[in-house]
Amino acid sequence: MQEHIQLNQKEINDIALSSVLETPKWWLPAVLISFGFIVTGLAAFFYMVYHGLGVTGLNRPVFWGFFIVNFVFWIGISHAGIMISAILRLTQAEWRRPITRAAEVLTVFSLMAALHTPLFHVGRPWRTYWVFPYDFSRGVWPNVRSPFVWDPSAVGTYLIASTLFVIICLLPDLAIIRDRTTGLRSKIYGILCLGWRGTPRQWKMQTIVGILLSALVLPVFVSVHSIVSWDFAVIAGVEGWHSTIFAPYFIIGAIHSGVSAVATFMVVMMWIWKGNDRILRPDHLDAIGRLLIIVATTWFLFLFLEIAFALFTLERPEIALRELQFFKWPFSGLFILFLLTSYFIPVPMWMFKNVRRSLPLMFISTILVNIGMWLERFLIIIPSLARKTPFAFDWGSYTPSIVEILIVTETFAFVIFGLLMFSKFFPLIPLFDIKEGMVFRDEIKIGRRTVPASIRE
Amino acid sequence: MNPHVITAKSTLDKKSKINNTLLERHQRNGNYFWRIISLLSVFLILGIIGFVMKLNSGFSDKVIWGYYAAMFAFILTTAQAAPMVAIAPRLAKAHWRRPISRTAEIWSIVGLFNLILFIPILWVLPSLEDRRRSLWFWDAAPGFESVPVFSPHIWTTLALCSLVFIGIMLLWLSALPDLALIRDKGTGWQQKVAKKLSKNWIGTSKQWHWLYHRLGILGALYFAMMVFVHFLISIDFLLVLVPGWIDALLPITHAANALQAGVATMMLTMFCLRKFGGYKDYIGYDQVWGLGKLLFALSLLWFWFWFSSFNVFWYGKKPNELSVIDLLTTGPYLIIFIGVFILNFVFPLFMMIWNPVRRSFWGPPLIAVGVIIGTFLDRIRLYVAAYSVPGIGDPNVSKHALPTNSLPAHLPEISDIFIMLGYISGSILVFMLATKIIPVINIWEQREVTMYEVHKKFHRTEVKILGKPD
Repeated sequence: MQEHIQLNQKEINDIALSSVLETPKWWLPAVLISFGFIVTGLAAFFYMVYHGLGVTGLNRPVFWGFFIVNFVFWIGISHAGIMISAILRLTQAEWRRPITRAAEVLTVFSLMAALHTPLFHVGRPWRTYWVFPYDFSRGVWPNVRSPFVWDPSAVGTYLIASTLFVIICLLPDLAIIRDRTTGLRSKIYGILCLGWRGTPRQWKMQTIVGILLSALVLPVFVSVHSIVSWDFAVIAGVEGWHSTIFAPYFIIGAIHSGVSAVATFMVVMMWIWKGNDRILRPDHLDAIGRLLIIVATTWFLFLFLEIAFALFTLERPEIALRELQFFKWPFSGLFILFLLTSYFIPVPMWMFKNVRRSLPLMFISTILVNIGMWLERFLIIIPSLARKTPFAFDWGSYTPSIVEILIVTETFAFVIFGLLMFSKFFPLIPLFDIKEGMVFRDEIKIGRRTVPASIRE
Repeated sequence: MNPHVITAKSTLDKKSKINNTLLERHQRNGNYFWRIISLLSVFLILGIIGFVMKLNSGFSDKVIWGYYAAMFAFILTTAQAAPMVAIAPRLAKAHWRRPISRTAEIWSIVGLFNLILFIPILWVLPSLEDRRRSLWFWDAAPGFESVPVFSPHIWTTLALCSLVFIGIMLLWLSALPDLALIRDKGTGWQQKVAKKLSKNWIGTSKQWHWLYHRLGILGALYFAMMVFVHFLISIDFLLVLVPGWIDALLPITHAANALQAGVATMMLTMFCLRKFGGYKDYIGYDQVWGLGKLLFALSLLWFWFWFSSFNVFWYGKKPNELSVIDLLTTGPYLIIFIGVFILNFVFPLFMMIWNPVRRSFWGPPLIAVGVIIGTFLDRIRLYVAAYSVPGIGDPNVSKHALPTNSLPAHLPEISDIFIMLGYISGSILVFMLATKIIPVINIWEQREVTMYEVHKKFHRTEVKILGKPD
C-alpha cells in the first residue's frame, strides 16, 4: 500500500530548510574529515607532478590505471541525475520528486570529480589547454578525431547542462530562503534567486525551461558515456575493448551505478538529517529498488552479450584475454567479486519488498553495486592492457601505488565534501517540487478501499 | 481531505453502457469488413502461388530465399512485437493503454501464421557443418564437439513456439472476462465460440486475482521470450551468414527495432480502428500521445544503436568490419539504407518535434506508416544481403572475411513480390478474423477504468483524477 503523507507548506519548508538554517553537530567534523582527505590527495598529486608519473604503478604496457578507472566510474555515477530528474520528469513519475535535487547535485559533483581525474592521469596538467580547439602559436590544431577533444567537449557540455538544471530548479527554493533569512544572507540569496517572485509568468517559464532542459540534456547524457566508451571501443588493437556494444553497455552500467548511488545517498539523507524521513519515505526506496531490478537485469544482459560475442569471435587473443579475466589470479577473484556485488547479491535482495523498504539493507546493497561497478571498469581496462600481445616485448600486471590510491580517495572525498557544502547553503530536497506534488496528490475511495490517485498520469 | 467517493450507481451506469456499446460493435458485421477480407484472401492466394514457385526452385540456392526470410523477420518485428504495447504499460499501470491493449494482444495470434511460414527457412539454413562461426560453438571450442549440428534450428524453433504459445495464452487470459460477457449476453456463432473459450469464468474475486497475477507473469515472459527470439534470429539467421560480421549490439538493435515497429503497427491499427472501426469514443488523444512518445523515443534509440555499431566499425578500420559496412550500408544497398535512415529516424525526429503534427490525430499514424515501411526496407537490406553472400553451407569458403569485391544487390523476382503481398495480407487477414472472435477493444479494462477515474474542480478548471492501486 502506498503511503500518503500530506504535509502543509510550513512543514515542508521546515523540514527541507533545516539543513540550511540549522547546523547539525556532525556537519563540521564531516566537512573537516573529507577536506583532510582532499588535502592529502592533492599533496599526493603535487608529489606526483614533482617526481613524475614514475611514482604511480603505471608502467609498460599498462598505461591506463586507477585514474582512468576512476574517471569512468564517476562519469557513470553522474548519470544518476539525468536518469532520475530528466527521464522521470518527462515520464511524470510522481515518486521522483523528493530525490531529484539530490540526484542532480550528485551529478554535478561526480562530473567535477570525473573531470579532474584525467588531469591527474596525463601527468602534465599545465598542458590542459591543449584539449581546447583553438589555433595556438605553432599553428597546430587539436586533432578533433582524438578522444582528448571528444571527452572534454562531451563531459564539459554535460557539466554545464547539469549545473543549469540544478540552478533552474533551485530558483523558487532560493527565494524562500531569501524570505526566511535576514541581513547579508538574505541579500546573497536575493541575488542568487534572480528576482524570483513566484508570478504566474515566472512559474510558466520555469516549467518550460525545466522540460526543455530535460529534453535537451538527454542526448548529452547519452553522448557523454557513449563517447567515453568509444575511447576504448574504437581501438581495434586491444582485445576486450573493440566491441560495438560498448556505448549502450556503458550507459546502462552508468545508470545502474548512478541510481544505486542516489539510493545510497537517499538513505544517508534519511538517517542524518532530522525530519527528512517525513518526506523521503520507504515508498521512494521501494520505487527506486524496483527500477534498479530492471536496470540491473538489462545491464546484466548487455554484460552477457559482451562476453558471448567476445567468445563468438573465436580469435585466440580474445579468448586468451577472457581466460586472464575469468580464470587467472588476481583478476579471477576480482571478477567473481564483481559479479556478486554488482548483480547476484543485490538483485535477489531487491526482489523482496521488505528489503526494498529497509534503510540498512538498501544502503548495503547499493554500496555493493558501486563496489562492483568500480571493479567492472577495472576489469575492462587493466587485463586488456596487461595481457601479452603478439608483438609486445613487455607485459605484466599492474599494482596501484599509494599515490594513486590517495588521489582516487581524494575524488570520493571531493564528492562528499561538495555534497556537504551544498547541503549547508541550499536545500537538498526540492521544496517547490514537493509542494507541487502535494497539490497533485489525491485519494479516491472504491468500495471499502482507498486508492492513491494523481491529478495527471 | 475528503477522498472522492465513487458511487455504485454512477459506476454501474457507465459499466453497462460500455458493455452494451462494445458488445454491439463486436457482433456487428459490416460490408466493408468482408470486402477487405475478400481482398486480403486474393492477395494471400497470390502469396501461395509465389511460394509454390519458390518451392520449385528448391532449397539449395540460399540467395533466392532472402526476400522470404526478410518477410518472416518483418512480421516477427512488427506483428509479434505489437503485444508489447499492451504488456509494458500494463506493468507500469498506465491507464492510457486500456482501449488498445486488446488490439495489441490480438496481434500475437499472427505469430501462429508466422510460425508455420518459418518452416521453409529451417530447410534453407544449412547445418553447422560448414564450420561457420556460431553461437553454439559447434566443433570449434573445447566441450562443444557434441552439440547438435542443427542447434540453431532446434533452439530457434523451440523459442519461437514458446513465444507464440505465450502470446496466445496471454490473449486468451486477457479475453476471458469479455468472452464470458459474450457467452452471457451475445448471440449467434460468436456466443457458441465464447461459451467454449470462456471456460468457467464467472468473475469471482479469486478469479480476478488469478487473472491479474497471470497477466503480469505472462506479460513479463512474453517480453523475455521476444527478446530471446530476436537474439536467436538475428544471430543464427542473419549475422553468422555474413563472414567477418561480429556485432555484439545486433541482437539488441534487432529487438529494439521490433519494439519501434511494434509501436508503429499499433499506432496504425489504432488509427484504422478509430477512423473506420467506429471506436472514436474509446480511442482518443491519450492513446495517440502515449504511443507517440514511445515511437519518438524508440526512433531515437534506433539511431543511437545503429550509430554505435557503425562508429566502432568505421573508426576501427578492421578489414572484415569495413567490408560489412560496404555490404550493408554504403555498397549495393545504399539507397535502401538511406530510405531506412530517413523513415526510421529523420522523419520521426523532425515530425514529432513539430507541435501541429505531434498533437494531431493524423501525424503520429503517418510517422508510424513511415516506420513500418522503413522497417520493411531494413529487413530486406539485412536479410537479402546476408542470404546473398556466397558460400553459405560450403565448408571450403572462408567464414572469416567477406569476398573483397562488393556483392551486387539482389533484386526481387515475381515470386518474391507475390510472397511479400501474401505474407502481409495473410497476417492482416489472421488479425481481422481474430477480431471476430475476441472483442478488439478490451471491455473489462474499459469498465475497470470507470472506477479509477473521477473529475474534480481544480481552481478555475476541472481536472481528471486517476487512481493507481498497488
